[in-house]
Amino acid sequence: MSAEIWQITLFSLAVALASTLLILPIGIAVAWVLARKNWAGKTFVETIVMLPLVMPPVATGLVLLKIFGRRSPVGAWLYDRGVEVVFNPKGVLIAMAVMSFPLLVRSARSAFVEVDPRLEQIASTLGAAGPRIFFAVTLPLAWRGVVAGCLLAYSRALGEFGATIMVAGNIPGRTQTLSLAIYSFVQLGQDHEALTLLGVTIVLAFIAVALSERLARSKIKT
Amino acid sequence: MLLRCRIPLSTFALEVDLALDSRVAAILGPSGAGKTTLLEAVAGLRHIESGEIEIGGRTLFSSARGIDVPPRERAVGYVPQDPTLFPHLSVRGNILFGTRNAVSRNGSTEFSLEHVVALLEIGQLLDRSVHHISGGEAQRVALARALLSRPRLLLLDEPLASLDIGLKERILPYLKRVRDELAVPMIYVTHNTVEALSLADWMIMLAHGRVTAQGVPHAVLTSGAVLDEIDSGLENVFEAVLIDSNADDGRSRVRLESGTCLFIPYTPKPLNSRFQIGIAGDDILVATQKAENISAGNVLEGTIRGLDIAARQAILRVDAKEEFYVRLTPTAVRRLALSVGVNVYLIIKTRSCVILGG
Repeated sequence: MSAEIWQITLFSLAVALASTLLILPIGIAVAWVLARKNWAGKTFVETIVMLPLVMPPVATGLVLLKIFGRRSPVGAWLYDRGVEVVFNPKGVLIAMAVMSFPLLVRSARSAFVEVDPRLEQIASTLGAAGPRIFFAVTLPLAWRGVVAGCLLAYSRALGEFGATIMVAGNIPGRTQTLSLAIYSFVQLGQDHEALTLLGVTIVLAFIAVALSERLARSKIKT
Repeated sequence: MLLRCRIPLSTFALEVDLALDSRVAAILGPSGAGKTTLLEAVAGLRHIESGEIEIGGRTLFSSARGIDVPPRERAVGYVPQDPTLFPHLSVRGNILFGTRNAVSRNGSTEFSLEHVVALLEIGQLLDRSVHHISGGEAQRVALARALLSRPRLLLLDEPLASLDIGLKERILPYLKRVRDELAVPMIYVTHNTVEALSLADWMIMLAHGRVTAQGVPHAVLTSGAVLDEIDSGLENVFEAVLIDSNADDGRSRVRLESGTCLFIPYTPKPLNSRFQIGIAGDDILVATQKAENISAGNVLEGTIRGLDIAARQAILRVDAKEEFYVRLTPTAVRRLALSVGVNVYLIIKTRSCVILGG
């Protein structure tokens, strides 16, 4: 593999990893709140969280472009502090994070729902406060669903195309990811590079599937 | 201890008003009477519409004063019917779960890990996964977990109900040890009169969310008001000492506190071991003359001290050095002309004497 292919692959893997780590704590918190709490506007929050899953990625990308563009209040505020998102690797990170967030939340949420609330009640009668109940009972019992959600989110981030190209563009060596590069190489008629990257994605897909299968098996065992 | 609460349920409301001063209070009643709801309310796991809960002088809930202490600060140990152990922790991890918060809650030393583990004989289980222990062991682990959080009150929800008879017999002595060796009051939900009689010093009958009777267990069980609600039979429970055993004859002999001796089915227990025996009130025959040539191993002479005839049955209280309760049909009472003061013989089959609590 050429240096260019390596750069594209490692850049994509690294940014997808960063995106997954970024959404992990927020995703766990949102998933837990959705699983355990009820309030008047819950459906609205659920819809907002799931929106990137049902909207065309390009449309989500446009929303992000409008939010983080220099002319919007958010973008201007960030620009004043030296943070540029649009057409920048940070844009790739944000596009991946937003697009994969619903998948993590869905998976983690159903894992939390499956934890018997009576175990949490018993923990409270044993003197445990909320944070301890969460970290000593709920999360350890839901970890498989959370990890499965991370795998899903990571795979989604690697495959992200539409939102990324809207927010971060397709700048070789700067914001070009695996998916964007495959598209570019095909457009330019560089079939060899495109097929090499295809091979890379197939290997990555195999690893992801193997990991999630293993996860499912360990669940059956206990 | 004061339990006064109103909790609306789907078809009726749980409304109780109890002032308890007992070591072990047993709550009996048919399923769906609100027994578990009451325990959950005391533990703080169930919303109470109105009322007041006070344990050992400390108010845990008061709708009038706006007090609602969260479960984690109540120091109430709760052992639900299904032991509900933490599946991701070892036995040790489970029983140590509550210790972190325990020291500040109750300073006594009798709740040390060593003491509780020895008391409940779970030492050899400590490093096992909770998936690899039996139902009876799981109950003991749940009990140890609750005790090690150093509760001021222990709530037990039918801890023996989900187990088969053999296991029941083995777990009862542990509950007695907890009662006798740890000074922690208990509220014990059951539908089994044998358990209630051998553990409790106060009994509460609950039906459709209301207390229908309460008092010392024997008195409650033999009062006409509750006879129809008990399905497992009137029980006689005695402290017994093993004085003789003969495997070939298939029977052993015990001496009760009054000195009365009874034959019971053979037990391999060592001589002089102490246990309780139970005799169902339905299993005792009454004769007005001494019967000869009968197969029953035990014939005791006594005097009728009480006679309580309800709609379909009669409860006889007979003083035969020990006090026996016998359940007969009203017809039998008429036919034998039984009344207070009459001398009778109680005929008890050896096989009707059951060893309680292993």
